[in-house]
Amino acid sequence: MVMLEVLLMSLHEYRVLLMAITGILVLLIASPALSRLLVFPRTEYFTELWVLDLNHKAENYPFNVTRNHSYNVFLGIGNHLGHCAYNLIEVKFRNQTQSAPNSLNRTYSSVPALYNITAFVEDEGTWELPLGFSFEYYYSEMFSCVKLSNLTLNGVNLDLNNYAIKWDSGKKVFLGNLFFELWIYNSTLGSFQYHERSVGLWFNMTTF
Amino acid sequence: MSVLKFSFVLLVFLGLASQLSVSIVLAQTSEAEAASALATSENAVFSAYQAVLKAEEAGANISSLLVPLNEAGWFLNHAQIAFKSGDFDSALEYATQCQEELNGFATDADVLKENAIYEHYMDFFVNVAGPIVEAVSVVCVSLIIWFFLKREYGHAGSVVDESS
Repeated sequence: MVMLEVLLMSLHEYRVLLMAITGILVLLIASPALSRLLVFPRTEYFTELWVLDLNHKAENYPFNVTRNHSYNVFLGIGNHLGHCAYNLIEVKFRNQTQSAPNSLNRTYSSVPALYNITAFVEDEGTWELPLGFSFEYYYSEMFSCVKLSNLTLNGVNLDLNNYAIKWDSGKKVFLGNLFFELWIYNSTLGSFQYHERSVGLWFNMTTF
Repeated sequence: MSVLKFSFVLLVFLGLASQLSVSIVLAQTSEAEAASALATSENAVFSAYQAVLKAEEAGANISSLLVPLNEAGWFLNHAQIAFKSGDFDSALEYATQCQEELNGFATDADVLKENAIYEHYMDFFVNVAGPIVEAVSVVCVSLIIWFFLKREYGHAGSVVDESS
Protein backbone atom coordinates (compact mmCIF):
# COMPACT_ATOMS: atom_id res chain seq x y z
CA MET A 1 0.00 0.00 0.00
CA VAL A 2 2.85 2.29 0.87
CA MET A 3 4.59 1.40 -2.41
CA LEU A 4 1.38 2.27 -4.39
CA GLU A 5 1.22 5.69 -2.74
CA VAL A 6 4.85 6.28 -3.65
CA LEU A 7 4.17 5.23 -7.23
CA LEU A 8 1.03 7.47 -7.54
CA MET A 9 2.89 10.43 -6.14
CA SER A 10 5.64 9.85 -8.64
CA LEU A 11 3.10 9.66 -11.46
CA HIS A 12 1.63 13.01 -10.42
CA GLU A 13 5.09 14.50 -10.29
CA TYR A 14 5.87 13.01 -13.69
CA ARG A 15 2.72 14.59 -15.09
CA VAL A 16 3.75 18.03 -13.81
CA LEU A 17 7.28 17.55 -15.06
CA LEU A 18 6.08 16.38 -18.47
CA MET A 19 3.67 19.32 -18.79
CA ALA A 20 6.40 21.80 -17.81
CA ILE A 21 8.93 20.33 -20.26
CA THR A 22 6.30 20.20 -23.03
CA GLY A 23 5.22 23.78 -22.39
CA ILE A 24 8.78 25.12 -22.41
CA LEU A 25 9.67 23.15 -25.54
CA VAL A 26 6.52 24.28 -27.36
CA LEU A 27 7.23 27.93 -26.50
CA LEU A 28 10.85 27.64 -27.59
CA ILE A 29 10.06 25.87 -30.85
CA ALA A 30 7.09 28.09 -31.72
CA SER A 31 8.84 31.36 -30.82
CA PRO A 32 9.75 32.25 -34.46
CA ALA A 33 6.10 31.79 -35.47
CA LEU A 34 4.84 33.64 -32.39
CA SER A 35 7.17 36.56 -33.06
CA ARG A 36 5.43 37.03 -36.40
CA LEU A 37 1.92 36.58 -35.10
CA LEU A 38 2.18 38.64 -31.92
CA VAL A 39 3.10 41.96 -33.54
CA PHE A 40 1.19 45.13 -32.80
CA PRO A 41 -0.13 46.58 -36.05
CA ARG A 42 1.05 50.05 -37.12
CA THR A 43 -1.64 52.62 -36.60
CA GLU A 44 0.12 55.92 -37.30
CA TYR A 45 1.05 56.83 -40.84
CA PHE A 46 2.65 60.20 -41.42
CA THR A 47 5.39 62.14 -43.16
CA GLU A 48 8.01 64.49 -41.74
CA LEU A 49 9.30 67.56 -43.54
CA TRP A 50 12.11 69.64 -42.11
CA VAL A 51 14.58 72.44 -42.71
CA LEU A 52 17.79 72.38 -40.64
CA ASP A 53 20.81 74.63 -40.44
CA LEU A 54 24.33 73.65 -41.52
CA ASN A 55 24.92 71.85 -38.19
CA HIS A 56 21.74 69.81 -38.65
CA LYS A 57 20.06 71.77 -35.89
CA ALA A 58 16.94 73.93 -35.81
CA GLU A 59 18.90 76.91 -34.50
CA ASN A 60 21.06 79.08 -36.70
CA TYR A 61 18.85 79.71 -39.68
CA PRO A 62 19.76 82.60 -41.92
CA PHE A 63 17.55 85.63 -41.29
CA ASN A 64 19.32 88.83 -42.29
CA VAL A 65 20.15 88.19 -45.92
CA THR A 66 22.14 90.35 -48.30
CA ARG A 67 21.90 90.35 -52.06
CA ASN A 68 23.96 87.76 -53.96
CA HIS A 69 25.21 86.16 -50.78
CA SER A 70 24.87 82.40 -50.60
CA TYR A 71 23.12 80.63 -47.70
CA ASN A 72 22.89 76.94 -46.96
CA VAL A 73 20.33 74.77 -45.20
CA PHE A 74 19.22 71.14 -45.31
CA LEU A 75 15.80 70.11 -46.55
CA GLY A 76 14.63 66.66 -45.44
CA ILE A 77 11.75 64.19 -45.59
CA GLY A 78 10.95 61.27 -43.28
CA ASN A 79 8.53 58.70 -44.65
CA HIS A 80 6.30 56.71 -42.26
CA LEU A 81 3.43 56.04 -44.66
CA GLY A 82 3.85 52.28 -44.79
CA HIS A 83 4.99 52.33 -48.40
CA CYS A 84 7.54 53.99 -50.68
CA ALA A 85 6.42 57.56 -51.39
CA TYR A 86 6.90 59.70 -54.51
CA ASN A 87 7.32 63.15 -52.99
CA LEU A 88 7.21 66.48 -54.73
CA ILE A 89 8.41 69.55 -52.88
CA GLU A 90 7.22 72.83 -54.35
CA VAL A 91 9.59 75.70 -53.63
CA LYS A 92 7.73 79.00 -53.29
CA PHE A 93 8.46 82.55 -52.27
CA ARG A 94 6.06 85.16 -50.92
CA ASN A 95 5.87 88.44 -49.09
CA GLN A 96 3.75 89.05 -45.97
CA THR A 97 0.58 89.83 -47.91
CA GLN A 98 0.63 86.88 -50.29
CA SER A 99 -1.11 83.56 -49.75
CA ALA A 100 0.49 81.16 -47.26
CA PRO A 101 -0.12 77.46 -46.66
CA ASN A 102 -2.63 77.05 -43.85
CA SER A 103 -2.12 74.17 -41.43
CA LEU A 104 -5.57 74.66 -39.85
CA ASN A 105 -7.52 74.71 -43.10
CA ARG A 106 -5.03 72.24 -44.60
CA THR A 107 -4.67 74.33 -47.72
CA TYR A 108 -1.63 75.12 -49.80
CA SER A 109 -0.45 78.53 -50.93
CA SER A 110 -1.85 79.85 -54.19
CA VAL A 111 1.54 81.40 -55.01
CA PRO A 112 3.01 79.65 -58.08
CA ALA A 113 5.88 77.21 -57.50
CA LEU A 114 9.31 78.49 -58.54
CA TYR A 115 10.94 75.08 -58.55
CA ASN A 116 10.05 71.44 -57.92
CA ILE A 117 12.14 68.87 -56.11
CA THR A 118 11.20 65.20 -56.40
CA ALA A 119 12.26 62.46 -54.01
CA PHE A 120 11.39 58.79 -53.74
CA VAL A 121 11.64 57.76 -50.10
CA GLU A 122 11.19 54.19 -48.86
CA ASP A 123 9.01 53.35 -45.87
CA GLU A 124 10.71 54.28 -42.58
CA GLY A 125 13.41 55.98 -44.64
CA THR A 126 14.68 59.53 -44.71
CA TRP A 127 15.91 61.74 -47.51
CA GLU A 128 17.89 64.95 -47.25
CA LEU A 129 19.08 67.55 -49.72
CA PRO A 130 21.58 70.36 -49.08
CA LEU A 131 20.11 73.61 -50.38
CA GLY A 132 22.26 76.55 -51.36
CA PHE A 133 20.45 79.74 -52.28
CA SER A 134 21.01 83.42 -52.87
CA PHE A 135 18.74 86.34 -53.73
CA GLU A 136 19.24 89.10 -56.24
CA TYR A 137 17.22 92.19 -55.43
CA TYR A 138 17.35 95.95 -55.12
CA TYR A 139 15.68 98.69 -53.17
CA SER A 140 13.28 100.79 -55.19
CA GLU A 141 13.14 104.29 -53.76
CA MET A 142 10.26 105.18 -56.04
CA PHE A 143 7.97 102.50 -54.53
CA SER A 144 9.77 102.27 -51.16
CA CYS A 145 10.01 98.53 -51.47
CA VAL A 146 12.44 95.75 -52.22
CA LYS A 147 12.12 94.42 -55.77
CA LEU A 148 13.37 90.92 -56.32
CA SER A 149 14.80 89.79 -59.61
CA ASN A 150 16.31 86.38 -59.09
CA LEU A 151 16.62 83.43 -56.72
CA THR A 152 19.48 81.03 -57.33
CA LEU A 153 18.69 77.65 -55.82
CA ASN A 154 21.33 74.93 -56.05
CA GLY A 155 22.75 76.61 -59.13
CA VAL A 156 19.39 77.00 -60.89
CA ASN A 157 18.29 80.58 -61.63
CA LEU A 158 14.65 81.22 -60.79
CA ASP A 159 12.82 84.30 -61.96
CA LEU A 160 11.45 86.56 -59.20
CA ASN A 161 10.78 89.62 -61.35
CA ASN A 162 7.17 90.02 -60.25
CA TYR A 163 7.99 89.85 -56.57
CA ALA A 164 8.19 92.91 -54.31
CA ILE A 165 8.38 93.29 -50.54
CA LYS A 166 6.99 96.27 -48.71
CA TRP A 167 8.50 97.77 -45.57
CA ASP A 168 7.15 96.29 -42.33
CA SER A 169 7.05 99.40 -40.17
CA GLY A 170 6.29 97.41 -36.99
CA LYS A 171 9.26 95.07 -37.26
CA LYS A 172 11.31 97.51 -39.34
CA VAL A 173 12.28 94.88 -41.89
CA PHE A 174 11.57 93.79 -45.46
CA LEU A 175 10.24 90.29 -44.82
CA GLY A 176 10.32 87.55 -47.44
CA ASN A 177 9.28 83.96 -46.91
CA LEU A 178 10.92 81.06 -48.74
CA PHE A 179 8.82 77.97 -48.10
CA PHE A 180 8.46 74.39 -49.17
CA GLU A 181 5.20 72.48 -49.63
CA LEU A 182 5.06 68.70 -49.68
CA TRP A 183 2.94 66.94 -52.29
CA ILE A 184 2.69 63.16 -52.62
CA TYR A 185 1.85 61.16 -55.72
CA ASN A 186 -1.40 59.23 -55.37
CA SER A 187 -1.01 56.20 -57.63
CA THR A 188 -4.77 55.51 -57.49
CA LEU A 189 -5.69 58.98 -58.73
CA GLY A 190 -2.58 59.31 -60.89
CA SER A 191 -1.75 62.80 -59.63
CA PHE A 192 0.07 64.65 -56.87
CA GLN A 193 -1.93 65.69 -53.82
CA TYR A 194 -1.02 68.27 -51.20
CA HIS A 195 0.13 66.41 -48.10
CA GLU A 196 -0.57 69.24 -45.64
CA ARG A 197 3.07 69.66 -44.75
CA SER A 198 5.01 72.85 -45.26
CA VAL A 199 8.10 74.44 -43.79
CA GLY A 200 9.69 77.77 -44.49
CA LEU A 201 12.19 80.42 -43.56
CA TRP A 202 11.59 84.14 -43.08
CA PHE A 203 14.23 86.52 -44.28
CA ASN A 204 14.95 90.17 -43.67
CA MET A 205 16.06 91.41 -47.08
CA THR A 206 18.64 93.94 -45.98
CA THR A 207 19.18 96.83 -48.32
CA PHE A 208 22.61 98.13 -47.27
CA MET B 1 20.99 96.41 -115.14
CA SER B 2 17.91 97.07 -113.02
CA VAL B 3 16.61 93.62 -113.92
CA LEU B 4 19.89 92.12 -112.68
CA LYS B 5 19.69 94.13 -109.45
CA PHE B 6 16.09 93.09 -108.94
CA SER B 7 16.97 89.44 -109.59
CA PHE B 8 19.86 89.64 -107.11
CA VAL B 9 17.69 91.21 -104.39
CA LEU B 10 14.98 88.66 -105.06
CA LEU B 11 17.46 85.80 -104.78
CA VAL B 12 18.85 87.14 -101.51
CA PHE B 13 15.33 87.60 -100.14
CA LEU B 14 14.29 84.10 -101.18
CA GLY B 15 17.46 82.69 -99.62
CA LEU B 16 16.84 84.45 -96.31
CA ALA B 17 13.16 83.51 -96.35
CA SER B 18 13.96 79.85 -96.94
CA GLN B 19 16.50 79.84 -94.10
CA LEU B 20 14.03 81.51 -91.80
CA SER B 21 11.29 79.03 -92.64
CA VAL B 22 13.71 76.11 -92.14
CA SER B 23 14.74 77.44 -88.72
CA ILE B 24 11.08 77.92 -87.71
CA VAL B 25 10.28 74.36 -88.78
CA LEU B 26 13.36 73.11 -86.88
CA ALA B 27 12.32 75.01 -83.74
CA GLN B 28 8.79 73.60 -83.94
CA THR B 29 10.13 70.09 -84.39
CA SER B 30 12.39 70.55 -81.42
CA GLU B 31 9.50 71.67 -79.22
CA ALA B 32 7.32 68.78 -80.33
CA GLU B 33 10.18 66.36 -79.79
CA ALA B 34 10.88 67.78 -76.35
CA ALA B 35 7.19 67.57 -75.40
CA SER B 36 6.99 63.99 -76.60
CA ALA B 37 10.21 63.00 -74.81
CA LEU B 38 8.98 64.72 -71.66
CA ALA B 39 5.66 62.83 -71.75
CA THR B 40 7.50 59.54 -72.34
CA SER B 41 9.84 60.26 -69.42
CA GLU B 42 6.93 61.12 -67.11
CA ASN B 43 5.21 57.85 -67.99
CA ALA B 44 8.48 55.95 -67.51
CA VAL B 45 8.94 57.43 -64.02
CA PHE B 46 5.33 56.68 -63.02
CA SER B 47 5.63 53.09 -64.36
CA ALA B 48 8.92 52.64 -62.50
CA TYR B 49 7.27 53.89 -59.30
CA GLN B 50 4.43 51.38 -59.76
CA ALA B 51 7.01 48.61 -60.22
CA VAL B 52 8.73 49.70 -56.99
CA LEU B 53 5.40 49.63 -55.12
CA LYS B 54 4.70 46.09 -56.38
CA ALA B 55 8.19 44.91 -55.38
CA GLU B 56 7.78 46.53 -51.97
CA GLU B 57 4.37 44.91 -51.52
CA ALA B 58 5.99 41.54 -52.18
CA GLY B 59 8.40 42.31 -49.35
CA ALA B 60 11.48 43.22 -51.39
CA ASN B 61 14.17 45.57 -50.12
CA ILE B 62 13.74 48.39 -52.61
CA SER B 63 16.68 50.58 -51.52
CA SER B 64 18.73 49.64 -54.59
CA LEU B 65 15.85 50.66 -56.88
CA LEU B 66 15.48 54.10 -55.36
CA VAL B 67 18.94 55.29 -56.45
CA PRO B 68 18.26 55.21 -60.22
CA LEU B 69 14.66 56.28 -59.63
CA ASN B 70 15.75 59.40 -57.75
CA GLU B 71 18.28 60.13 -60.49
CA ALA B 72 15.56 59.75 -63.12
CA GLY B 73 13.30 62.03 -61.07
CA TRP B 74 16.03 64.66 -60.96
CA PHE B 75 16.46 64.53 -64.76
CA LEU B 76 12.69 64.69 -65.28
CA ASN B 77 12.48 67.67 -62.98
CA HIS B 78 15.13 69.55 -64.91
CA ALA B 79 13.54 68.57 -68.21
CA GLN B 80 10.27 70.11 -67.02
CA ILE B 81 12.03 73.30 -65.87
CA ALA B 82 13.89 73.58 -69.17
CA PHE B 83 10.70 72.98 -71.14
CA LYS B 84 8.82 75.67 -69.20
CA SER B 85 11.60 78.17 -69.85
CA GLY B 86 11.56 77.36 -73.57
CA ASP B 87 14.92 75.62 -73.62
CA PHE B 88 13.71 72.63 -75.64
CA ASP B 89 17.16 71.28 -76.43
CA SER B 90 18.00 70.93 -72.74
CA ALA B 91 14.51 69.57 -72.05
CA LEU B 92 15.03 66.90 -74.69
CA GLU B 93 18.48 66.08 -73.34
CA TYR B 94 17.30 65.77 -69.73
CA ALA B 95 14.24 63.74 -70.77
CA THR B 96 16.46 61.36 -72.75
CA GLN B 97 18.81 60.98 -69.78
CA CYS B 98 15.80 60.26 -67.57
CA GLN B 99 14.70 57.45 -69.91
CA GLU B 100 18.26 56.07 -70.09
CA GLU B 101 18.43 56.02 -66.30
CA LEU B 102 15.36 53.79 -66.24
CA ASN B 103 16.58 51.34 -68.89
CA GLY B 104 16.19 47.82 -67.48
CA PHE B 105 14.53 49.17 -64.36
CA ALA B 106 11.33 47.12 -64.78
CA THR B 107 13.39 43.93 -65.12
CA ASP B 108 15.38 44.70 -61.96
CA ALA B 109 12.17 45.44 -60.06
CA ASP B 110 10.61 42.18 -61.32
CA VAL B 111 13.68 40.17 -60.26
CA LEU B 112 13.56 41.73 -56.79
CA LYS B 113 9.83 41.02 -56.58
CA GLU B 114 10.21 37.36 -57.62
CA ASN B 115 13.08 36.87 -55.16
CA ALA B 116 11.02 38.47 -52.41
CA ILE B 117 8.05 36.18 -53.13
CA TYR B 118 10.33 33.11 -53.02
CA GLU B 119 11.98 34.31 -49.79
CA HIS B 120 8.55 35.03 -48.32
CA TYR B 121 7.44 31.41 -48.98
CA MET B 122 10.68 30.03 -47.60
CA ASP B 123 10.37 32.25 -44.55
CA PHE B 124 6.80 31.05 -44.03
CA PHE B 125 7.82 27.37 -44.17
CA VAL B 126 10.94 27.78 -42.04
CA ASN B 127 9.70 30.26 -39.46
CA VAL B 128 5.91 29.76 -39.28
CA ALA B 129 4.70 26.41 -40.64
CA GLY B 130 7.80 24.48 -39.50
CA PRO B 131 7.75 25.61 -35.85
CA ILE B 132 3.98 25.06 -35.60
CA VAL B 133 4.32 21.47 -36.91
CA GLU B 134 7.26 20.89 -34.56
CA ALA B 135 5.32 22.26 -31.58
CA VAL B 136 2.31 20.03 -32.36
CA SER B 137 4.71 17.07 -32.68
CA VAL B 138 6.18 17.83 -29.25
CA VAL B 139 2.67 17.92 -27.73
CA CYS B 140 1.80 14.58 -29.41
CA VAL B 141 5.01 12.95 -28.19
CA SER B 142 4.32 14.24 -24.67
CA LEU B 143 0.79 12.77 -24.77
CA ILE B 144 2.15 9.42 -25.95
CA ILE B 145 4.73 9.47 -23.15
CA TRP B 146 2.01 10.42 -20.67
CA PHE B 147 -0.32 7.62 -21.73
CA PHE B 148 2.60 5.17 -21.73
CA LEU B 149 3.61 6.24 -18.21
CA LYS B 150 0.01 6.14 -16.97
CA ARG B 151 -0.49 2.65 -18.34
CA GLU B 152 2.77 1.38 -16.92
CA TYR B 153 2.11 2.93 -13.51
CA GLY B 154 -1.48 1.64 -13.48
CA HIS B 155 -0.20 -1.83 -14.31
CA ALA B 156 2.46 -1.56 -11.58
CA GLY B 157 -0.19 -0.37 -9.10
CA SER B 158 -2.42 -3.40 -9.79
CA VAL B 159 0.59 -5.71 -9.37
CA VAL B 160 1.32 -4.09 -6.00
CA ASP B 161 -2.36 -4.43 -4.99
CA GLU B 162 -2.42 -8.12 -5.88
CA SER B 163 0.82 -8.82 -4.01
CA SER B 164 -0.41 -6.97 -0.89
